[in-house]
Amino acid sequence: MTGQPLVIINDPVASPRDRGTIRRPRRGFAALRGVQGFRRGVQLVVALYIAWVVIDRAIVAAAGAMGTSPESICPFGGIETIVTFLTAGVFVPHVHSSNLVLAAAVLLLAFTARGAFCGWICPLGFLQDLAAGLSSFVQRRVPAAFRGMRALRRSAAPLAVIDRPLRLLKYVVLAWAIWGTAAFGVMVFRDVDPWIALLDIGRESTGLGMVVLALTLVGALFVDRPWCRYACPLGAANGIVARFSPVRLERSAATCVDCNLCTKSCPMGIEVAEATVITSADCIGCLECVEACPRAGALELRIGLPFGGRA
Amino acid sequence: MNLAKNKETTTVDATTPIAQAKPRRRIPPVAYGLLVVAVFAGVIGIGMASGTFQTSGKTTAGGERVAPRGETVTEIKGWMAIGDVADAWAVPLPELLAAFELPADTAPATALKDLESDLFSVTALRDWLQARG
Repeated sequence: MTGQPLVIINDPVASPRDRGTIRRPRRGFAALRGVQGFRRGVQLVVALYIAWVVIDRAIVAAAGAMGTSPESICPFGGIETIVTFLTAGVFVPHVHSSNLVLAAAVLLLAFTARGAFCGWICPLGFLQDLAAGLSSFVQRRVPAAFRGMRALRRSAAPLAVIDRPLRLLKYVVLAWAIWGTAAFGVMVFRDVDPWIALLDIGRESTGLGMVVLALTLVGALFVDRPWCRYACPLGAANGIVARFSPVRLERSAATCVDCNLCTKSCPMGIEVAEATVITSADCIGCLECVEACPRAGALELRIGLPFGGRA
Repeated sequence: MNLAKNKETTTVDATTPIAQAKPRRRIPPVAYGLLVVAVFAGVIGIGMASGTFQTSGKTTAGGERVAPRGETVTEIKGWMAIGDVADAWAVPLPELLAAFELPADTAPATALKDLESDLFSVTALRDWLQARG
């Protein structure tokens, strides 16, 4: 921790000391103006498409016909099968060529726009955002819920020390998923994958995957994007490639008014206000920090060559 | 809940203006959003146009139904009907069902994945057919 106040996650109001000097964050529908409306629209369209595939699959399967497998539109399947595909030229069960194309799209996007897949497209990230939005909504309208969350934050403050090491867990999950799939010829991560559990609701999903999904969504009521922060192997792969992206956020120390709103608004808990160039592998490119910044030019997306993502 | 912020960032000397260190082109947020959509949809579009984006192993790129041919066991998939697999490999269905202790009245149209148990799986069937020759 630094000398900065502890960061409040899912905080529905700005710090009182900030009022009067900087703009308060927009809430509700007002928050959907500008690029955030664009982002939410993209997330919604993708989520509706996924829902349509799942429903369509259930309908055509009930009629005894063939439909698009929901698992065939999971990018991580392409990453899981990459070793068997490159060494033996075959896909592991439940993987199709569409998974490889999607994996390529995600990784190319990671290079060109950092973690934008997670912040703009991933439906599981969108669901966590919705859970966090619900949490903030309830806290704003139910004083007891606000006080309860504040008390919970205080009592959980000691857990801050495990936040950073816990973020490394997703890289372990990524290594295990790729190695296990190559070693055993089946997707070892599939049984605990909350995304597969969601896609296969009522069909083949295991109970464990549903438990992980439930824990993720309940956890998102208290901590922004818990799955993305700590366990998502696709986010880990994304972050590794994003390290080489020429696109990055830059904070101008000369223009910044040190309001700390960028840090508070970051759903991934990145200390934006502490850095001049944000190269964190956890950045999901959601631009919440840019939107929250009250000073034009203080926080901007920039592209720099040569590649490397360093200042 | 209070959690520490991720400090995995690169901090440079705040007294050095970035513009002097190395000029960089600003990306408007909306342009960034358009880039995200264009790159993601573009790759998928290229995959679809080239016939690479196949969401099912049940049909070919031309939309024709894939059926077991009895050439290699790796072509056996969980969605295939057990009767079709038995026919393709010239194995009497009752023999196949008995080998895996499956009910004798199992319908030939039943998908392999719907029959999975401790004794029966696609992998086990592949191994059995391979060993049987």
